[in-house]
Amino acid sequence: MRNPAEPESFRLVIPSQTRYLNLVTGMAKRASIVAGMDDATSAKVSIAVDEAVTNVIVHAYNSEADHQVDIELRFMPQSLEVHICHNGRAIRENEVVLPDPREYVKHPRKGGLGLLLMSRFMDEIRYIETGEGSECCMIKRVV
Amino acid sequence: MADLFIQVHEVDGVAVLRAEGFINAHTVRQFEGALEALVHEGKYTILLDCRLLNYISSAGLGAIMGLIETVRENGGDILLCNLQKNVFEIFDTLGFTQLYRVFATEGEALKSLNGTN
Repeated sequence: MRNPAEPESFRLVIPSQTRYLNLVTGMAKRASIVAGMDDATSAKVSIAVDEAVTNVIVHAYNSEADHQVDIELRFMPQSLEVHICHNGRAIRENEVVLPDPREYVKHPRKGGLGLLLMSRFMDEIRYIETGEGSECCMIKRVV
Repeated sequence: MADLFIQVHEVDGVAVLRAEGFINAHTVRQFEGALEALVHEGKYTILLDCRLLNYISSAGLGAIMGLIETVRENGGDILLCNLQKNVFEIFDTLGFTQLYRVFATEGEALKSLNGTN
């Protein structure tokens, strides 16, 4: 039985393969709606989740297909928390450099936009290292 | 249904690429391959019809970004039309609506190109 003091949550564990992205983003979108967000906001959450899970698969696991990505969604009283956990190369907070979109417009190039989308579409993002692995925690408040 | 379905046709010298579904890290090679094929055929004016595009992630934006200089250096351009609200928001959030010409309909986009091809 669930401890009533703990938030309601559910988890999805996927192989580290991009073909599962749609499954995860669909789940994130539906969860955002259940949490009380409108369609536009839930679309933003699903994009941020797509980018964060892609980062884990491509960068933390170097596109190796035989690992796992653990996605947990927690329904907090005022927000939805998305916890993306893995055992690959850790992404540290001080390594995260957000590109300036004005520079992108002046000097178009590939890459670096995913982190920017995550930061623009979510209210809070934290990178945590635990004894068991690494975690990207993203929070979207329900207004 | 596949995650991404792409159709290409030509209208008055403009290659119209219709993308249906999702462009993300899984489908981006298919999208990028379709764009590159057009460029290799010398079709440098490309209209992306996004009416049935549910979303595009940074991987897809990178694919467009990777070819924009090539097409412009050859006198062409990449234009966008029929963007769903959430897709428009992704482009707008990143300032891409300043970089690309965005039109409400395919007809408006083609009209703006009239005489420039």
